[in-house]
Amino acid sequence: MRIIIAGMGDVGYQLAKQLSIESHDIIAIDLDQDRLSYSDQMADILTINGSSTSVSVLKQAGIDKADLLVAVTASEEVNITTAIIGKKLGVKRTIARIFNDEYLEPESGVNFNELGVDFMIYPEGLAAIETVNLINRTAATDVLEFEDGKLSVMGIRLDKNAPIIHKKIFEVTQQFQNVDFRVVAIHRNFRTIVPRGNDQFLANDQVFVISKPQGHDAILRLSGKENIQFNNIMILGGGKIGRRVASLLSDKMTVKLIDNDTDKAFELADQLPNTLVIKGDGRDIDLLAQEGIIDVDAFVALTEDAETNIISCLMAKHLGVKKAIALVDKVDYIPLTQTIGLDSLINKKLTTANNIVRFIKKGGLVSYSTLEGIDAVLLEYVAQPGSHITQSNLAKLELPKGTIIGGFIRNDEGHIGVGDSKINAGDKVVVFSLPDVVEKLEKFFVG
Amino acid sequence: MNFKRVLNILGFLVLITGVFMMFGIPFSIYYGDNDIAVLLLTGIGISVIGFSFWFKTRNADKSDIGKREGYLIVTLGWVLMSLFGALPFVIHGSIPNYSDAFFETMSGFTTTGASILSDVESLPHGLLFWRSLTHWIGGMGIIVLSLAVLPLLGIGGMQLYAAEVPGITKDKFHPRVKETAKRLWVIYMALTFLETVLLMIAGMNFFDALNHSFATLATGGFSTKNNSTAYFTSPYIQYILIVFMFLAGMNFTLHYQMIHKNFSFLKKNDEFKAYLFFTIGVSVFITLIHIPYVDFKPEESFRQSLFHVVSLITTTGFVSSDYENWAIFSKMIFLILLFIGGSAGSTGGGIKVVRHLLLIKNGFLELKRLLHPRAVIPTRLNGKAVTPEIISNVQAFFILYMLVFVLGAISLSLLGMDFISSIGGAATCLGNIGPGLGTVGPVSNFGHLPELAKWLLSLLMLFGRLELFTVLIIFTPYFWKK
Repeated sequence: MRIIIAGMGDVGYQLAKQLSIESHDIIAIDLDQDRLSYSDQMADILTINGSSTSVSVLKQAGIDKADLLVAVTASEEVNITTAIIGKKLGVKRTIARIFNDEYLEPESGVNFNELGVDFMIYPEGLAAIETVNLINRTAATDVLEFEDGKLSVMGIRLDKNAPIIHKKIFEVTQQFQNVDFRVVAIHRNFRTIVPRGNDQFLANDQVFVISKPQGHDAILRLSGKENIQFNNIMILGGGKIGRRVASLLSDKMTVKLIDNDTDKAFELADQLPNTLVIKGDGRDIDLLAQEGIIDVDAFVALTEDAETNIISCLMAKHLGVKKAIALVDKVDYIPLTQTIGLDSLINKKLTTANNIVRFIKKGGLVSYSTLEGIDAVLLEYVAQPGSHITQSNLAKLELPKGTIIGGFIRNDEGHIGVGDSKINAGDKVVVFSLPDVVEKLEKFFVG
Repeated sequence: MNFKRVLNILGFLVLITGVFMMFGIPFSIYYGDNDIAVLLLTGIGISVIGFSFWFKTRNADKSDIGKREGYLIVTLGWVLMSLFGALPFVIHGSIPNYSDAFFETMSGFTTTGASILSDVESLPHGLLFWRSLTHWIGGMGIIVLSLAVLPLLGIGGMQLYAAEVPGITKDKFHPRVKETAKRLWVIYMALTFLETVLLMIAGMNFFDALNHSFATLATGGFSTKNNSTAYFTSPYIQYILIVFMFLAGMNFTLHYQMIHKNFSFLKKNDEFKAYLFFTIGVSVFITLIHIPYVDFKPEESFRQSLFHVVSLITTTGFVSSDYENWAIFSKMIFLILLFIGGSAGSTGGGIKVVRHLLLIKNGFLELKRLLHPRAVIPTRLNGKAVTPEIISNVQAFFILYMLVFVLGAISLSLLGMDFISSIGGAATCLGNIGPGLGTVGPVSNFGHLPELAKWLLSLLMLFGRLELFTVLIIFTPYFWKK
């Protein structure tokens, strides 16, 4: 597939890298030659130096032969303009990154598809929703929801005293008659294992479980965690994500939002009537103490600065906060944060790239997510009529090594994948996979 | 300071005063009164004076009305209009003392409605009409009128508008101030017309209906009868007056929204809600207080309570009975009501409901701020955060208002007035209400006051009508520094 990416910022770069590995033809356009040179060295792509809103630059990139144009520069105006121009010049599909959620609301009354923008992506909005999910599932390190939560994948870190430590997976599942959940991966010592029935649970494992809504309690019981209802949240950083998270949570729980900018703090206080806005530096321990960090259930650091977020989250953990979530936009830091004891992290660039990748995939891919910090992906496919996956029971299918069918959604109801499950055409199937076998996996779903 | 331009506009305002004065002549002709010549000659004389000032300075630099000129023009304009507007009363001889006539006219223009006349009905109809007309002109404001109908103010109109219609926020219906002023006057005239018709249907004659409508919509309070509105015993008339006083005390922006069928605006407006519930709440309360009294009649008690509460809150000052004889508790409430005032953007005077609302909200939030010293806790109005600058402005207004009131009340007592009358007189004049307490109570008048007290109270009325800052600013050294 021929893909043009306008803007080689973090999102563009991440996307280019990911897609070029999967052997797509990537043409990157950016105004900054240094960024292009860097990307060129790190990934197998073609670079063009120039403005993505320039007709001649787009023609030079072969826009009329391209399948997809992804506009992810740092400017909303440039992105939308690029998409519109690109569409007129003959690209099949366009995606534009936007910077406010107003355009996504149906009541905005502006038909962007008509203008030539097929899909709009709002990374800050995605990151906010991810944060809220993590806060609602208090025990989980990661939460991914499929089809409005009919199935969800949770990451849980096992404590030393969890009841299932040293038990084998089949021993645990035998206790339950109705299978409401299934272990899809274990992350142990920086390696991801796709487990078999006789693999053991060990302390400090990060276990990924797919489950139906009614399975959540059982999972938490087994892992020795309680899903406590959080009702006291402190957010650091009143940017777009912080603002959105605060507005989503503030009618259910007490939310305090800290920002260091006087004018911004006032603006936030204006927009968020139910949130207590505090002006100050989130790394100031006196300030945190004064605002009762001791009583806070979850601390969410969402400033622009990854280092600030990590440090303040560590500080919050040190002060006894139950859960600390940091926005870490530097991909390089992701493995590090696991070792230093951060509960969860949000990376809006990865989230965005994941969201875009599903447009490129064949075989009715509905969603594509990388699990942060571990080298694995979760995919959601629509099984196409006549595809290999629908031919026989899961047990008899010879799926590639390193993949596992987590579950499927049929007639709006979630089901967990077991040996004798059979996938029908039209089912939405959630698959866990190591990245190197995604290509092979895809073939199972194409009709 | 562009003095030439200041004189030019002042001349123009005097000219308008002269012209308006003659509007009462048809009534005098109809009723065969003896004030036709007085009104005609005084009117023409004043017009000529105004015109010559305007004509002499017509080549003044038109482009340049700054904030300073704006404040000076508006303050001096109102003073000059009262100085000239008082003349027909003196020349005709119905109010022989010039101090009295000035007090009466200032009371008219500032929509106070305090009178020095003990026998209103003895005035010829032309003068009575002029007296009510001063209310009507002053209610919406002479500058707003000039902006609406006459192109003469031109550039710089915004500065004049800001000085005459201070308020805390600028509600503009239209990007252009001239268009905003036009819409305000259209609403004002429409309401006046409607009330006149309704009052005539309820039994008043045209002259009384028109005069009372002028006094109602301007939240003035001058009546054409000695007993004020108590003369009209019909409950219908009283209810009509109550409704229109209430409407006049509302923000005119809300009328504009209602005309455009935008009723959700009402629900979202904190000031309106406070105004409505406070008015009704206090009236019900006073009614309940009167239950133990022998002659308690539910409907009438409620009507009388509501009438006075609305009349005092909106700063109209109509009187339908003598509340001096009511329970001491009710009188206490009435004294407090003298400090409430109508809504911002209404024709009412006083401190205004929205200022009280902000002060109270801000006061309580201060307690929360003590607990969270680093938190940003804005005071909210209509769901929006109010900037600290506005809060500070409101606080400054409140303090200065109280200071002016205190100094006024003390000065009145120094001039020989008794305790209650000093307090009531200063509060009622500063709030542009009309009836006070004690010897200046609802059925008394201001005629017996010492000469100096009348001038002092006239000054208080001007302070109140122009919301302090416009007048006070002229007396500060900052104003005159280059």
